[in-house]
Amino acid sequence: MTNNMATTTIEMAPDGADHISPPADADLATMLLIRHFELALLDLFARGELHGTTHTCLGQEYVPVALVPLLAERDYVFSNHRGHGHYIARFGDPAGLLAEIMGREGAVCNGVGGSQHIFRDRYLSTGVQGESLPVAAGVALHLKRHEPGALALTYIGDGTWGEGAVYEALNMAALWRLPLLVVVEHNGIAQSTATGAQMAGTIRARAAAFGIAHLRVENSSLTEIRATAGPLVERVRDGAPLVLEFVTHRLGPHSKGDDTRTDAELRQVRAADWHALYSEALGERFAEADAIAAARVTRLVDEVAARPPAVWSKA
Amino acid sequence: MAAPTMDRPTSAAPAPVQTLTIAKALNNGLRASMEANRKVLVMGEDVGKLGGVFRITDGLQKDFGEQRVLDTPLSESGIIGTAVGLAIRGYRPVCEIQFDGFIFPGFDQIVSQVAKLHYRTQGRLKLPMVIRVPFGGGIGAVEHHSESPESYFAHTAGLRVVTCSNPADAYWMIQQAIDCDDPVLFFEPKRRYYEKGEVDTTAAPGPLFRSRTLRTGRDVTVVTYGPMVRTSLDAAAAAEEEGRSLEVIDLRTLSPLDLAPVYESVRRTGRLVVVTEAPGESSISSEIAAKVQQECFYSLQAPVLRVTGFDTPYPPSKLEEEFLPDLDRVLHAVDRSLAW
Repeated sequence: MTNNMATTTIEMAPDGADHISPPADADLATMLLIRHFELALLDLFARGELHGTTHTCLGQEYVPVALVPLLAERDYVFSNHRGHGHYIARFGDPAGLLAEIMGREGAVCNGVGGSQHIFRDRYLSTGVQGESLPVAAGVALHLKRHEPGALALTYIGDGTWGEGAVYEALNMAALWRLPLLVVVEHNGIAQSTATGAQMAGTIRARAAAFGIAHLRVENSSLTEIRATAGPLVERVRDGAPLVLEFVTHRLGPHSKGDDTRTDAELRQVRAADWHALYSEALGERFAEADAIAAARVTRLVDEVAARPPAVWSKA
Repeated sequence: MAAPTMDRPTSAAPAPVQTLTIAKALNNGLRASMEANRKVLVMGEDVGKLGGVFRITDGLQKDFGEQRVLDTPLSESGIIGTAVGLAIRGYRPVCEIQFDGFIFPGFDQIVSQVAKLHYRTQGRLKLPMVIRVPFGGGIGAVEHHSESPESYFAHTAGLRVVTCSNPADAYWMIQQAIDCDDPVLFFEPKRRYYEKGEVDTTAAPGPLFRSRTLRTGRDVTVVTYGPMVRTSLDAAAAAEEEGRSLEVIDLRTLSPLDLAPVYESVRRTGRLVVVTEAPGESSISSEIAAKVQQECFYSLQAPVLRVTGFDTPYPPSKLEEEFLPDLDRVLHAVDRSLAW
């Protein structure tokens, strides 16, 4: 099996309020739902209603929403420790996820998996960095043989590129021409360590080393992302793996209260937040949708918190 | 037997009882599983054209094709992780880890994914996969080709760990492990690969997760597994010449442990020696000692004694005979137990 794929690298325009194309109502609603879901989790922790830990995707909500129409039900999605947005974008089921995190009736995995270990249909998440890449490669190998046209997507962060498993899987994916889509949420910070302090070189060059196509997206406008990424995702289905790198921003702490960034750094991050850009671009329409999402999550939290505990069962 | 002709293949009627090496028995067992179930895949480093460093997969790629016998990159995490993905989708992958010391790059996948997915999903995901590991020393090789890492895996909830000690078990246990819906770590005593024994291909000697008493005796119970089974049986034969009767139990399964026959035996003999090649510290041998003292406290005539590898890294090959437990060390422990 030889690898003669041409490396593709495409860069999209940097962000800016001018570049936000008006999103569909449903997409805007999902992005805002994820935003308020994450804010509610931090609030529940602060009030002592949640235990353990969580990692919110505040600032990154648009990434999985942008990918929704590019994916099919038969595609596999592997998520990571920061995966609430991935789940909600795929299933539109914030109640099942919140119940899972709170250990209440109706939990997706009966409360066993919690925030980071979710299994539902063709969706599986794990909290250890990079671990899902080889698993996704294995699923992609099965899909290639038995369900051609389907793909396996795995979400990772910029910090994940420090893990060796990433390279083992990329090598196999390129070698065996697997339908593997690696979505990188490059938020510039690995827990508390800036990318520049933990990554030598670039993600683009690392993908190129395997002959794997790479697309870097610096935009949070759904229409533009889909138009550019769509054709490359279709090539993944034919066995051309792709590294799809979103330059994004992590608004909140890595987990809870462990943010070491300066006020100036945080101001910069907030200024680039899609929420602010969309608000400015969409005005009143955005404010209304935001209020609706906030109210929906408030009701959701009350409703799920009132449920009885989840019961563990045996399959 | 008539000479084979073009239209009468020799495979039509294999003899029901054959004399095979452990290596050949494993090869035949893998072949039988692959013939019985198209979902069975073999994957690993150099398992295809070469047939594996120890030739355990010899000829399988030629007969079953590259789709079912995959030569992988040198990527243990990738091999095991990919097998997890394949198992999720209904395959029954059999991964070969070339040498014991090479399993550590795959440890993350084994401990965090293979062992836990069934639990996390409350049984909705099953991982019917086998990880084959040639283990132990005695072949004049280097440290990372001679290790006994089985206790790490027995320590991890969610994994099943077995080891064969003879050709009949090798032939049947590998097939039973492949049939098992849970992930199985399958440890093969590499220095015994070329020892021969009879294999009845018509009937399995017993279920997979059961220990077996190989020799009955009155004076001291010896519990062991893998490469030390041969050593312990030799020790029992030597002891008999001195009028001492040893009972030898082959554990076969390290997780779950099947200790009921051990308890029954110790209640009769009152004495137990545990023999392993692996170092003793926080190990399967210490687990057995703890459980036996708990279950058989009033029957014990002597403390449970252990004969194990030393608590050091595996030594250079010129020193390995000093490291490996041998017949003399087993007999010395038997003497100490009887003299207590």
